[in-house]
Amino acid sequence: MNVTDVGQHGFYILHRLGLLVLSLALVISVLELVRRGHLKERYALLWLAVSGFGLLVGCFPSIIVRLSVILGFQYLTVVSFFAFLFLMLLVLVFTVVISRLSERSRRLAQEIALINERLERLEKPHE
Amino acid sequence: MSNVVVIIPAYNESATIAGVIQTLHETVPDYAVVVVDDGSNDDTAAIVHACPGVKLLKLPFNLGIGGAMQTGFLYAERNGFDIAVQCDADGQHPVESVRQLVSRIEDGTADLIIGSRYVADSNYTPSFTRRVGKSLLSRWVDLLIGGGVTDTTSGFRAMNRKAIAVVAQTYPEDYPEPEVLVILYKHGLKAAEIPVNMHPRQGGVTSIRPVGAIYYMIKVALAIFIDLFRRYTPPKGV
Repeated sequence: MNVTDVGQHGFYILHRLGLLVLSLALVISVLELVRRGHLKERYALLWLAVSGFGLLVGCFPSIIVRLSVILGFQYLTVVSFFAFLFLMLLVLVFTVVISRLSERSRRLAQEIALINERLERLEKPHE
Repeated sequence: MSNVVVIIPAYNESATIAGVIQTLHETVPDYAVVVVDDGSNDDTAAIVHACPGVKLLKLPFNLGIGGAMQTGFLYAERNGFDIAVQCDADGQHPVESVRQLVSRIEDGTADLIIGSRYVADSNYTPSFTRRVGKSLLSRWVDLLIGGGVTDTTSGFRAMNRKAIAVVAQTYPEDYPEPEVLVILYKHGLKAAEIPVNMHPRQGGVTSIRPVGAIYYMIKVALAIFIDLFRRYTPPKGV
């Protein structure tokens, strides 16, 4: 699908509908996850921005076409490619976050072991 | 006379741990003994708890050998020990040689002394694949740190205060033994080895599965290579 073709004929209605439904589902899921306390607000913001962009494009498909033209992309697949790269970057960020968390939980476990030993020594000072 | 602590990491070692502690009490009664229970699901902790004079550091969940050993090093550092000895709970390490390791630290030979299975008068004969893997890894580490150590995977070792300060701060997570050599080298510390005779395993199972041997080698080789370029924050007290 050539970018200019899309400009002339617009998005396929099914694509628009799909995008709208998915984005809406994402918004609702994110809000619900935050409400239940399963998702931190700081990460929720990112997902809301992504789904917000999805909704916007679903309503006004010309946005993505103009964006492609501004950025000089000839084909929409290039846009998907960049979306994919963005997601990969996100995954990288998350694995960094996970690494930091596991490092912290390791240190916490070690501190607990050390504190417990000290506590036991203090409770039985005669040994 | 230096203040020595023997650190024993233990994960499901109920079959052998009491024997190792007993031997330590007989051969080196003047050394403190600390067992790090790495979230065992057998009665390792209960057995250790019943041993008089032994400190138990019980981790709330399994951290792996690296995290467990580091707990011991943190203990050694915070309780002001001069020398920390690392000894396996499965009875393979020759406890009768502990004093030799310690004396080489005391006379200032190096900051880390390894009980080596490969030096001339030692009788260790591992399987072919393990021998090849370990010797390749040892060559690699030896090359990086400029020689002096042939058995880089031996977990029977002793270190002084300077080395303890480093490992309490930075310790690799799994299969840490070869990597520690590079980390200490990067901190300007010296390693040396003495020959020891290992005992056959008395119980429990090896933590290195045969399938994992190749993965282990690649992972450690890579980790060690990265260590060379890593920046370290200088540990306190060095």
